[in-house]
Amino acid sequence: MEEIKKAAIEKITTHFREVTAEQHNGNRVDFFIGKEEIPAILFYLKDEMGYNHLSHIACVDWLEEKEFEIVYIVWSYTDKIKIFVHTRVDRENPVMDNVDMIWRQANTYEREMKEMYGIEFTGLEAPEEFLLEDWEGPPPMRRDFDTEAYAREKYWERPGREDARDVRETIIERTGEELPDFAKKYKR
Amino acid sequence: MKEILYYTWGAIVSFVVAFSVGITYMGLNRKITARVQNRYGPPWYQNFIDVIKLSSKKTSIHHGVMQHMGPAFIMVTSVVSLLVIPILNGNKFFPNLNFQGDLIFLLYIMVFGPLGMALGAGQTGNPNSAIGVTRGLSQMAGFEIPWVMALVALMIQYKTTSIVDLMNVQVESGRWLMFSSPFAFLAAVMAMLGMFRYAPFDIVGAPQELASGPMSENGGKYLFVMMSAGSVFAFAKLTLYVDIFMGGADNLIILVVKTFALYLIPMLYGITSPRYRTEQSVRWFWGWPSFFGLLAILQAALF
Amino acid sequence: MINDKNSQKIVDIIQNFARQHSIWVLAYGTGCGAIEIPPTMTSRYDAERLGVRGAATPRQADVLLITGYLTTKTLKRVIRVYEQMQDPKYVIGFGSCTINGGMYWDSYNTIKALDRYMPVDVYINGCMPRPESVLSGFAKLQELIQAGKADGAKKYKENLEWYRTNQKKVIPNWHMPEYNW
Repeated sequence: MEEIKKAAIEKITTHFREVTAEQHNGNRVDFFIGKEEIPAILFYLKDEMGYNHLSHIACVDWLEEKEFEIVYIVWSYTDKIKIFVHTRVDRENPVMDNVDMIWRQANTYEREMKEMYGIEFTGLEAPEEFLLEDWEGPPPMRRDFDTEAYAREKYWERPGREDARDVRETIIERTGEELPDFAKKYKR
Repeated sequence: MKEILYYTWGAIVSFVVAFSVGITYMGLNRKITARVQNRYGPPWYQNFIDVIKLSSKKTSIHHGVMQHMGPAFIMVTSVVSLLVIPILNGNKFFPNLNFQGDLIFLLYIMVFGPLGMALGAGQTGNPNSAIGVTRGLSQMAGFEIPWVMALVALMIQYKTTSIVDLMNVQVESGRWLMFSSPFAFLAAVMAMLGMFRYAPFDIVGAPQELASGPMSENGGKYLFVMMSAGSVFAFAKLTLYVDIFMGGADNLIILVVKTFALYLIPMLYGITSPRYRTEQSVRWFWGWPSFFGLLAILQAALF
Repeated sequence: MINDKNSQKIVDIIQNFARQHSIWVLAYGTGCGAIEIPPTMTSRYDAERLGVRGAATPRQADVLLITGYLTTKTLKRVIRVYEQMQDPKYVIGFGSCTINGGMYWDSYNTIKALDRYMPVDVYINGCMPRPESVLSGFAKLQELIQAGKADGAKKYKENLEWYRTNQKKVIPNWHMPEYNW
């Protein structure tokens, strides 16, 4: 497995210039690359290296760095290796290349990301709303969206749950755990 | 005038008997199913309660005229076939409208109900109803073949198309037709499994797949009419089988015993079976049951 | 004769008895609570001995069993199903999510109190309620029917304006036929 991973890193780094690789334990290799290169690297992985299964497309909201991170996870049935391709897009104007000509099922993930994070994909075929019906608020999975305030404002609340609190606060109170600085900012 | 009153009275009495016995059988079916599945089960009179409740529900559904007529067609079919089929051997309390050729008449009238139901279900516009009707009619094409073959064999063998004549044959010879023409009996009983629409032939109204199929838009009073028509029809069919193959009955107790013994066949076969798809059930009916029907016709023609 | 007051009383008693002992349930499996319905119906707890039985379509059902949380998306469908049911009809709210939101109390997409949007006759609390509590909920409903107090549908008809206002507040695009009973 180590040889296969090394060979994969070798192949990618020689073929693409501005890519950094990172090895993990187990059957996982990570690549970090600019967002313009994404269709190229995915095409290369699928056609030349046999990574023809798209497992998932994930999105991470880096609020402090004002960026979204999009992670493409692909899998090869012959190499039995997972490859994670990371890229960053600007948070203010999130536009990303659409990859559903490589894998048709990418459309589903992209529609979900469009609804949940508000990322625009160029030429995305999205006939109507996907998961959120009649949604009028901001994209709900963004970290600056205050879920609790929204729920309190929109849905009528039965009295008697005023002591309902975040489970993290209880844990911190009991264990005396230190909160990291960035988390304190978004503490409820 | 007296004749008409007599017949009317007889019709009312036979309807009441058929209704109560049929509903009780359905309740017993639920109870026995529950016992087989290691449950306690509802009481035997549960279906009476269900029928009262359904009749007391309000209905405010209107999809068109045929939708209201569909359940009525089934009811008419059940009552007419009940009136034609002789219930007891001696015709004292249950006068019936039998005539020469009523066996052929029955063959036709028993198809009338499902067809009316198909029209009614078609008008509701529910896709589940349409699928259920298609399946039901194809399945009917399956079991009608052995059923008609069995009856034709009897008609050829005894040169009659009257049920009363067939009963008299059995009374005179002292031998049930079940034993003197066993192949016809086998084919007819196998066709009966399909007529009752219990498992494995219950794909027509499967609640899990089709949302109860043809009656998925019918609730309340429509369902009440359908349930009572179904139980009357079940009793009529069982009585027909008893009349033709088991020598009829001299009094109600013997009739109930014989019909219940016959009813156990589809019921127990149903409880212990999974479900067939439509093409599987049609293939099943056109296999061994039709073969037995053919044997019965050969036996009737040659011996 | 039916319009006579005393005979109407007798008819009511018979009908209430029948309604009480023949409950056909449309289990709307919205949330995790749907998993508690099979054990309630099958041989361990056997709800059929009380006359409780599953119904396949809303037209045939008496009781709408809301099992668990309701998002605004499912609420729309549930209201549609409820309005297709025929009188007399009852609603059972099942699980704490229908009472006060349960563990989804701060979700952006989940309603927190079912009885603001639909008339609820009986609540069964718990997360999840075990089959025993489900059966006790049915027993409570039977009690209410016998006493003639299970009148959620009547309440809904009389206060339709209020319910509609609440429903339209959480469902902005209301493309549904109006309620015609």
